[in-house]
Amino acid sequence: MVGQKNTTSELLRSLRTLSVAAFHPADEDGEELLLQLRRIGCHAQAFWPPAPRLPEGADVVFIAVRPDTAVPNWSEDRDARAPTIIAIVNYENPTIVDMVLKLEVHGIVASPIRPFGLLSALVVARQIRNSRAAMTKQVQRLESKLAGVRHVAEAKAILMRARNVSEPDAYQIIRDQAMAKRTTVEHMAYAIVSANDILFR
Amino acid sequence: MADHSPIHVGLLFSKTGDISTIETSQLMGTLLAIDEVNAAGGIDGREIIPIHYDPQSSPGLYRVLAERLVLEDRINVIFGCYMSSTRKAVIPIIEKWNRLLFYPTLYEGFECSSNIVYTGAAPNQNSVQLAEFMTASYGVRVYLIGSDYIYPYESNRIMTDLVLQRRGGEKVGERYVPLNAVHDDFKSIIADVKDKQPDFIFSTVVGNSTKCLYQAYADAGLDPRTMPIASLTTLEAEIAQMGADVGAGHVSAAPYFQSIATPRNLESLEKFKRRFGSDVIPNAGWEAAYFQVHLFANAMRLSGSDAIDALMPNLLGSEFDAPQGRVRIDPSNHHTCLYPRIGIANGSGQFTVVRQAIRAVHPDPYLITHSLGDWTISLDTPK
Repeated sequence: MVGQKNTTSELLRSLRTLSVAAFHPADEDGEELLLQLRRIGCHAQAFWPPAPRLPEGADVVFIAVRPDTAVPNWSEDRDARAPTIIAIVNYENPTIVDMVLKLEVHGIVASPIRPFGLLSALVVARQIRNSRAAMTKQVQRLESKLAGVRHVAEAKAILMRARNVSEPDAYQIIRDQAMAKRTTVEHMAYAIVSANDILFR
Repeated sequence: MADHSPIHVGLLFSKTGDISTIETSQLMGTLLAIDEVNAAGGIDGREIIPIHYDPQSSPGLYRVLAERLVLEDRINVIFGCYMSSTRKAVIPIIEKWNRLLFYPTLYEGFECSSNIVYTGAAPNQNSVQLAEFMTASYGVRVYLIGSDYIYPYESNRIMTDLVLQRRGGEKVGERYVPLNAVHDDFKSIIADVKDKQPDFIFSTVVGNSTKCLYQAYADAGLDPRTMPIASLTTLEAEIAQMGADVGAGHVSAAPYFQSIATPRNLESLEKFKRRFGSDVIPNAGWEAAYFQVHLFANAMRLSGSDAIDALMPNLLGSEFDAPQGRVRIDPSNHHTCLYPRIGIANGSGQFTVVRQAIRAVHPDPYLITHSLGDWTISLDTPK
């Protein structure tokens, strides 16, 4: 028989603590959206037109994408703590879909809004946003790690040439210096590479 | 000139198949209310005429017959459905043609169709109260047994979450049986129960196979005083099927039990018996089916039309003195404010109410994390 999960996902559990900003005109559809968000238990407020900056403190932002209203450029506000963004569309032509793509949303909801489907769209969009944020963080970590490795290799090469030592010895020199200056090997290596650039190029 | 044309309404309750007993009781509750409305002069002189089809407990037939009611019989309002699977089958039809469904059954929540009025309990009106009572009275180790469909899955998720909130709370087993399960299907499960020795069993078995679970339990010599079966769906009709001696000692939660000793309830029961005899046994499904017809009739007296757009504004927020107490349709979510109660089945096939709400509990169909110990939902012990 079907084995059921006995713990409910945090994405579902947290629905009642979510703060939602809905950029939607004050029409029947907007009311349905707000009503359903409140049934789900979110703290939802509606605004129109869209704010030029992403609202602070919101966990989720809904934005109606309309042919007659320019979509805001929120790209500068999209840091690690930026909210989940879900577009609401009433047309599906390339013009509108293009506007949606520019917004880089995590999910999409079709207008007219029906209560059914909103909860799923909301939860899946949050999952996508969270995993995208986690991946971005991971990439940043790897990139800085990679840069560090490159600097260490370069610094070792500089020392091997300048002091005529072996590769393990070059590494030992960098390590000892880092220890003495209470910094990391990567940081020390970066200092050597920078100094070399200034002194010898 | 006043309109004296009759108003036809559709009824979709199964008289045959796995859930025939409970749906027949809902059908009869509906007919009782229609009778009452007509006897009092109809809706402003217009008689209500029910058109009933038997969907034979099959979701596919609910869809087909709902469409027939809409397209051939020109029906605007339908009363019906017990299982969630049958309600889900009817939704596309009523939403496509913009018709209204009154759904008189408890269910697992997470729905709010603009074309439905829900008059049965949502989980925050029965599951939480049942979990509170069971864990406080019997213990925190639960064994889950259910029919194999969506209502049991979701109800078991809620029950498990609630039980795990208790110190030492534990789910010791979870098993599912087909909707047409018979006595033998429960044998190995009951053997496992005997082995695991939970503090109580939570049954989400529905329909005519309910009696087989309780009979298998009794045959195994288990004692309801120390390890009862708790349920939201085992009500008076199911107890009558299994026999009062088999059912005695087991626990159920519902907004209505026949034993509610108010003049309002006694009057309805008396009227029902006089009109329809005692073959069909009133229960919470019967009561919801009964009062929702009156909510419809009252709303239509105000709107003068049975079209959903005219009815809905008059339905939302409307109240009615139902046998369980004064109920109200919550305008924000189309569900109903109800009175949760806990009953223990007694030797005469009735439920002795051991806990009851003093005021109506608001429906919250989208509540994911239920909490034990919430004072807004705590129940009183009847004097």
